[in-house]
Amino acid sequence: MTAFLVRRCGFALVTLFAVLTLVFVLVRIVPGDPAQLILGDQASRETIEALRQRLGLDKSLFEQYSVFIAGALRGDWGTSLVTGRPVIGEVLNVLPWTIELTLLSLAIGIVIGVPLGVAAAVRRNRFVDYAARIASLLGLSFPPFVSALLLLLGFAIALRWFPVISGKNATFYEWYQSITLPALNLGLITAAYITRVTRSAMLEVLQEDYVRTARAKGVPWRAVIWRHGLRNALIPVITIVGLYLGILIGNSVLTEIVFSRPGLGKLIVGALNQRDYTMLQGMMVIYTLVVVIVNLLTDLAYGIADPRVKLR
Amino acid sequence: MTKKWILGLAFAGLVAAGPALAQKKSLVIGMGSADAGKLDPHLASTTPDKGLLNYVFNGLVRIKPGEASPNFIEPDLAESWTQNANGSEWIFKIRAGVQCHHGFGPFTAEDAAYSLKRAATKATSSYSGDFSAVDKIDVVDPSTLKITLKTPVAGFLGYVANINGGNMVCRKAAEEAGDNFGKRPIGTGPFMFAEYQPQQFVKLVANKQYFRGAPQLDDITFRYIPADSSRDLAFQSGELDMIYGKQDQTWVDRTAKLPGVKVKAMEPGELSALYLNVTAKPLDDIRVRQAIAHAIDRKAIVQFKGEGSSREAVSVVPSGYLGTDQKSALYAYDIAKARQLLTQAGYPNGVTVKTIHTTLTGMQTLIEAVQAQLKKAGITLDIELVEHATFHANIRKDLSPIVHYQAARFPVADVYLTQFYDSNSIVGKPTAVTNFTHCDVADADIRGARTETDAARQLALWKAAQEKLVKNVCGIPIYEQLQLWAWKDTLDLGYELNGSLNLSPPITEKTRFTK
Repeated sequence: MTAFLVRRCGFALVTLFAVLTLVFVLVRIVPGDPAQLILGDQASRETIEALRQRLGLDKSLFEQYSVFIAGALRGDWGTSLVTGRPVIGEVLNVLPWTIELTLLSLAIGIVIGVPLGVAAAVRRNRFVDYAARIASLLGLSFPPFVSALLLLLGFAIALRWFPVISGKNATFYEWYQSITLPALNLGLITAAYITRVTRSAMLEVLQEDYVRTARAKGVPWRAVIWRHGLRNALIPVITIVGLYLGILIGNSVLTEIVFSRPGLGKLIVGALNQRDYTMLQGMMVIYTLVVVIVNLLTDLAYGIADPRVKLR
Repeated sequence: MTKKWILGLAFAGLVAAGPALAQKKSLVIGMGSADAGKLDPHLASTTPDKGLLNYVFNGLVRIKPGEASPNFIEPDLAESWTQNANGSEWIFKIRAGVQCHHGFGPFTAEDAAYSLKRAATKATSSYSGDFSAVDKIDVVDPSTLKITLKTPVAGFLGYVANINGGNMVCRKAAEEAGDNFGKRPIGTGPFMFAEYQPQQFVKLVANKQYFRGAPQLDDITFRYIPADSSRDLAFQSGELDMIYGKQDQTWVDRTAKLPGVKVKAMEPGELSALYLNVTAKPLDDIRVRQAIAHAIDRKAIVQFKGEGSSREAVSVVPSGYLGTDQKSALYAYDIAKARQLLTQAGYPNGVTVKTIHTTLTGMQTLIEAVQAQLKKAGITLDIELVEHATFHANIRKDLSPIVHYQAARFPVADVYLTQFYDSNSIVGKPTAVTNFTHCDVADADIRGARTETDAARQLALWKAAQEKLVKNVCGIPIYEQLQLWAWKDTLDLGYELNGSLNLSPPITEKTRFTK
């Protein structure tokens, strides 16, 4: 187990380093000059050159890279080219918003998706199954920004239960008002994925010999489903949840924009539009870290769900 | 009897006090961007940042709230001013008793001089170029400022007005904050910076000591809501009192139908024009450029863009600027003529020209309409769509023979002419700004007008420059896009809104809610 963790952390470091280098090069290959974008279109080239010098963008690519890596090793991610505020601070300002939204929508997805998937599998080709399959197909086909607008039109404009601007969290009531629609929006889409994966995994497991044996032994149907069936069907579900967590953070950008919530997604889009190199680099580290950590947790969860999985 | 009277009076008082107590004192504005940029007035270059800072800062002079033309210049931090005969020496009398925000002390000529020098320094200002003609800035005494220019400057007062580098910062605050001034901008305006929440809002509170009187509003929340539809919905649900509109006519039509809402298309108009590189084939042949100019139907474009929010261009300088030739001889829409010119130029079977274009929606729909119009004359416009920042980078590398650009500038002809048509501004040169045409035909007139002190002769030179630029088809002006805003009709701005150079309606000490 310890050896496994050490090795995985080693891999993580290599991945991180590779991603950093790639991002560093990629953002600079894309046309677009941060100094120009910062100063606006009335600035003369002399003024722009002066700013490029001040930002260190006139140095050679290799020089910029060594400065960047040296800083990164010290834990210094620099300051945003555009706002002049520290990258770490900017990220930490909005990170809780993204984490909260992601985890809550994942929870909604699991709470709805797993039971629905199990129910659909158990009552295969009956009403529940058809309903679950149609509902999940709908969930998968809706782009998040369309469903977000529909939620706003229904619950914020017609019913007036929630605000359109979901950016307050001073009191619990405000927090609840702000998180519900965005979390529901992403949660329902996540639920759609989880329902379908759970259903197909369960269908496979329910046809296994040990399920038939358990039933023949007279084990109650309920216990067969939850203890023998679901437990064994969990591995693909965990895989999907793990993969989806990474996707969810990426997907949250449209939800953040439509619901006017702060978040990492908005930060990265803004940084990209402004060619804020330092910001993009910092953000990529965070994203990579999240994906690496989630993958690690997924692997550990396999072991818990199925003790036969040995972590080596 | 007396008792009844008193009771009656008390009741009347209650009735009167009721609405007064309920009166809204907080204004919430919805702006179409994801976050604040630089909240330092000398560095801010985006519409959202400039609009917000306009509520916080004053200039030595200002353009009357609600107007967008230098004809409306009036005193601001300077009570009065004088200039010598040729306009190279300006003396400003600074208003007494003006206080800087958050207890940074009185605003004096020292602050004014510091602020102008800061705005003229490359390291601290995006607008240093505007002050290149400034020779000396002297503090004569705490209430007198003297500015000496190397050469007279057309419309000099515009550079010390409440926009861009003319915004007056308080010396002590700016020196203490250094590079961090944008985190807590300190000025003298009706509202003071209070709080910034990333990606959410900036909150301003009333400056009770404001020299024109304490503001009627208590605070302004300037919210960043990038999605047009979310901004509209939040306005509809009453969470926002004023919004930056989606810049197209369908938005105007839809929003104007909402109850209790005012919609305004205000000045300045952003001029949308094609800039043709006269050194690139086949555009180096004037007949090809003329053919393109003849093939564009400006009237149809305005119908397409919406009559309420756009208007036909009148010249290579936007209409209403000091020095605009309001009746310049633009090429008339004439497809037959265009085809004939192409044939003469040796392209009887039509010609293909390329443009690199941004994916910004409003601009993209225009270039697609132009593409359809040009097609009728046998001109194929090859549009290469790229994302906005790439567009800005590539057009400055001369990669796009035709550049479609949309912009408003300080409303003096000199600014537009210098940036887009002076040969010093040609992209690629060290002094480059936005001359994509490589034209130099109007250099003498543009430069002559810049230092001409006789107003009539100056106007004549500007007119001559525009005539040459139109005739040589360096630029093809198409239409002007006005700035679209909406607000609740219970909000009384306190002035008549015709326009704003900061592109956002000013919020002044007189702005209030009537309910």
